[in-house]
Formats: sequence, structure tokens, C-alpha cells
Amino acid sequence: MGIYKIIILVFLMVFNADARPISYSGGTTIMYKSDTFNDSIYLHYSPTYKYSIGLERVKNKFYKNTENYFRFTYLVNRKNTDISQRNLYFQSGVLVDDADGFFYGMHGDWETRRWFSGFGYKDTKNTFGQDYTDQYIQLGVAPYVGDYGDLHTWIMIKTKKNSLTNTQSTYPELKFFKGPTLVKFGYSDKTEWDLHLMYRF
Amino acid sequence: MKKILLTLLLASPLAWAEQDHANMHDHSHEGHLHDTMVDGKNLDVSAERFDAFMNELTNVNVAVVSVKGMVCDFCARGIAKTFEKDKTVQKIDVDLDNGKVLIAYSKSKDINYSEIEKKILSNGQSMSDLQILEI
Repeated sequence: MGIYKIIILVFLMVFNADARPISYSGGTTIMYKSDTFNDSIYLHYSPTYKYSIGLERVKNKFYKNTENYFRFTYLVNRKNTDISQRNLYFQSGVLVDDADGFFYGMHGDWETRRWFSGFGYKDTKNTFGQDYTDQYIQLGVAPYVGDYGDLHTWIMIKTKKNSLTNTQSTYPELKFFKGPTLVKFGYSDKTEWDLHLMYRF
Repeated sequence: MKKILLTLLLASPLAWAEQDHANMHDHSHEGHLHDTMVDGKNLDVSAERFDAFMNELTNVNVAVVSVKGMVCDFCARGIAKTFEKDKTVQKIDVDLDNGKVLIAYSKSKDINYSEIEKKILSNGQSMSDLQILEI
């Protein structure tokens, strides 16, 4: 990883916080994600706001296989202020049927009611003998600031890179959420659709 | 004449409520229900919002909780869910703009700072202030 990437990651870690990979205490979340590399369904439960445990079923489009992961996400650091929240998370997962396949990484976010930034880094050791990394950086702005229960809208830009496919793309995203439901989608001519659906209960 | 004015004032539910707010100044309604408490702290709850919140509520005390880190709807949803489990809670309102949560408790409830703080913390936010309006 280049020095500029490290600087950007450190900057985001220090000054900034993403969508919530851990719910409120006692919360359950179901997510569907689809991009050029994976389709996944992920169900997690948060006993406390500090961590979540879950199961993810991933259809890998590159290897044309399907894998199931036990996942664990831990909130390493959070800073609350009157106008912002910053989070740093450790994420991990291990294949249900083969401990040689696993991933780990960090992701973080910082947001106010108007601004959002986030980053993620994930290192995957798979059972095909090819390790790879996923990285992304995301910035967003809310065109209007909604009240509790309103439809909230975010206009975002995301840069992501996958070392296995050796693709890097930067593309716009739109994120909407209302109540317990979130929909996010982006499109790039290189990596095509990036879709994220989430429901929390 | 003064007696009539005083009677009218007391007949108004809002004014009546203020009479019970021993710890508050009963003035200033310029967009806010009460701008300043006796302790000098700002309440920062809009009169319109408070009136809507209090609509059809009787026999309650209101906790106005200042929350740090309540920057999105998802964050606030957990707080609302936690307090809704308390049977003495009659109503909850989240004011994201001002980082406040209004909680109407039954009169019988002894509103406890550390209990509320603990619930806020259990959702990953932090409480910076609590003001109790005895209505």
C-alpha cells in the first residue's frame, strides 16, 4: 500500500467515520450486497453496540463458487460530539466449513448530519491460494437535512480497488434511508452496478 | 383586572405548566418554549415541537436529554427502541437538529439521571445533559 493511501487512511481514521456494521444493542440487521465481484446476504445480531456476530453467504463471481462465513465485527473506537460521530471497526470472517479461508480488515466512518466519509480495507485469504485485498474510500453529502423518520438522501462518491481483478473504479452513489430501511446503489462503466440493501429490526 | 389576567394565565395549560417549573424562568417564547433555565442552560426545544409532543399527554413529566453522536436516523432509532421498552414512558420524540430526545414519563416515575445515561450509552451515544420538566 502506497504512502499516499496510508496517509489518506490515517486521515480518515483520525478525522472521520460508514453505514453501521453494528446495530444498536439487541438489533438485528439483514443486508444484501451485489457488485461486479460478489453477491452476498449477511445477517448479523448486535448483543451490544460494541460488536456484532453474523452469518454471510457469498456468491463469488470471480471463482464462480458460494461460501458461507461466520462474521465478527468489533467497534474499536467511537467518538461522539454534539454534531458528529466517528467510528473505527475491526471486521473478520471465517469460512464455516474451512478455517483456512478467512478475511479481516478495518473500516471507519465519520459523519455529521450533512457530511459523510468512510473507508475500508479487507484482506482475504481464500482456499484457492490467491490472497487479495479490497479497499474503498467514500465521501458523501446530504442535499437536505431530514428530521427523524423522514426519507434521508445522500449523494456520494466512492473509489474502490480489488487486487484480484486488478480493477479500480470511481463512481457516484445514491443512498436513501427511511426508518429501518436503507437502499444504496452506484454505477461505474468499469465495475457496473454496486447495490446495497439493508433492513434493521 | 389583574386577577382576571392572572386567572386567564393560569387557565392556559402552558402557563399552568410553567407554574410548576420551579427551576425555570417563565419567560421568552421567541421560537422556543423556554430559552433559559434557572441554571443558565439552554433548553433549545422549539415551542412548536414541544406543543406537538405534549399534544394529548397528561399527567407526565418530560425528560429533555441532550445526546452526543446522534447524527443519523439509524443512531436515534436504537435510543427510541430502548426507551419504548420502559412501561412508564408515554411518548418519545427525537429532535435530530438539536441533538435532543424528549421522553414523557408517567408522573409516578422517578426520573433518574444515571438510568437515562446508561440507556443512551448502551446504544453507543453519550448523554451530555438532562433537564426535567415537571408539568
